[in-house]
Amino acid sequence: MKQSKKRRTFKSGVLNYWQYYVLLFPALALILLFQYVPLYGLQIAFKDFNIFVGIKESPFVGFDHFRRVFNDAYFYKVLGNTLVISFYKLVFLFPLPVILAIQLNEVKNNLLRRSVQTVVYLPHFLSWVIVSGLFVSILGSDGIVNQILSPFMDRPIRFLMDRNWFRSVLVFTEGWKGVGWSAIVYLAAITGIDPQLYEAAIVDGANKFQRIWHITLPGISPTIILLLILNIGSLLEAGFQQILVMYNPMVYSVADIIGTYVYRVGLGQMNFSYGAAVGLFNSVVAFILIITGNQLAKRLAGRSIW
Amino acid sequence: MNKRQKHFMKESKVERLFSALNVFLLLLLAAATLFPFLHVLAQSLSSETAVISGQVGLFPVDPQLGTYQYVMGNSQFTSSFRVSVIITVLGTLGAMVVTTFAAYTLSKPHLPGRNFFLVLFIFAMLFHGGIIPNYLLMRSLGLLDSIWVLILPALVNVFNLLIIKNFFEGTPESLEEAARIDGANTFSILFRIVLPISLPVLATISLFYAVAYWNDFFRAMIYISRPDLKPLQLYLYEIVTQTQRPLTDVPVDSAMNLTPAAVRSATIMATTFPILVVYPFLQKYFVKGIVVGSVKG
Repeated sequence: MKQSKKRRTFKSGVLNYWQYYVLLFPALALILLFQYVPLYGLQIAFKDFNIFVGIKESPFVGFDHFRRVFNDAYFYKVLGNTLVISFYKLVFLFPLPVILAIQLNEVKNNLLRRSVQTVVYLPHFLSWVIVSGLFVSILGSDGIVNQILSPFMDRPIRFLMDRNWFRSVLVFTEGWKGVGWSAIVYLAAITGIDPQLYEAAIVDGANKFQRIWHITLPGISPTIILLLILNIGSLLEAGFQQILVMYNPMVYSVADIIGTYVYRVGLGQMNFSYGAAVGLFNSVVAFILIITGNQLAKRLAGRSIW
Repeated sequence: MNKRQKHFMKESKVERLFSALNVFLLLLLAAATLFPFLHVLAQSLSSETAVISGQVGLFPVDPQLGTYQYVMGNSQFTSSFRVSVIITVLGTLGAMVVTTFAAYTLSKPHLPGRNFFLVLFIFAMLFHGGIIPNYLLMRSLGLLDSIWVLILPALVNVFNLLIIKNFFEGTPESLEEAARIDGANTFSILFRIVLPISLPVLATISLFYAVAYWNDFFRAMIYISRPDLKPLQLYLYEIVTQTQRPLTDVPVDSAMNLTPAAVRSATIMATTFPILVVYPFLQKYFVKGIVVGSVKG
């Protein structure tokens, strides 16, 4: 009796596993096709790829394309732009969601807090095309910002075509789109802080600022460290889609980044092998950064993303 | 005691000032967030002369709907709108099925091979072949200039999958065991027990997928050249980048008294509108939903 029951559960166990694999299969097949098959195509970075001959038959050239990349002065230019833009975004934008989360947490009126949250999360859900359209409208030479500034200026500022302004526009629009949404993670971390800590602090006579400084900030510091490291992991990204929709030839010298360069040279000019070489360099460095970042986060903050 | 009470009172005055300043700054931020929308909305609703002479601020001047009539009547706009609706509906439905199924399987800790599959998915999230190998793949699959190229590659987002998986891991195992003893199979457990108690996270992830499909322009930009397959975002992209050039380039029928700026504004608003409609309904879910699953404790 006992034996037969055991056998039945074992049998049904196998059957159930089989059903689990069926559930997994579609996603697995899609990932293999659209994420792993392109890795096979990466070999064109080591070949003189000819689109009419195909990947397999194109002649192998070793590291020739990489030698060209690393001897190309413009490559260092776009690498520099990528790092500078990422750095500006990190320095100016990283602290803002922390501050916003603490501010939101201090609002006692629920309706007010909810309303502000609803508004500031919204831009996260807009595409860069829409955001670019909105800011082209207000920052154009006859846009409302220039109308407001016109009494103080000889001529309108061409925010989107001026090398001195374009990076500021990138940082500002990135902040406008993302700061509200980024605050969510910190708000959740604040909710996780033990309320008894605050009660004890109030009994001890700690004022609001002391409570923020000594309880809230230490309470969310693991989250801050985790997100800082993740941000460093995406240094080479620099906002590819944003720049792609907002830049123009007049600001290439300050805004062309690795991603946009690969796109223009690789697909636009059909230098497939050269583009794939730059892209491979980008993917490998990004991968190393994110893996290192995750290990660091595990060690420093005791948390990781996977 | 008295001294301490006095101290407390004095602090609370500063604190009240702080609270007021805090609320003021938050309202300022909300206003700055809304300002571009309101201005562009006002422009799209204002008359030609008001737009050209720069009278439009936050409210429409000489309100009219002619710009919207022109935009909606444009055959490329209606065709692009239809393409965007199709890929968003099909894509979101397909993505939810595929992602939820896989997330359920991967949430079972004792499944043989689970860790191998997890690593396979996570690696795919972290290492990309880049746009050129992807382009060559789509080309050899014959997917260039096909609506499927806008749907299939985005069906599995590993980040979304992990959020659902983490949520499933947090649901009580005892419910599933009880059903299994009653003879239910994996599929009916998933549909009758697991999914109904996971509605908040499913709503959140559906929103993420729908927004991603609606907003996608880059795939269309590299894989689509047929005008009848261009989604709305790509159409808007072309309008926005055209207006960065001298205004004379813009395809506006001058006989209709429309300014390029107003046409651009109306197209932007029409593209944003569907997001504005679904957003408030789903907003209440995502704070709860995403945060539980996003960061592993």
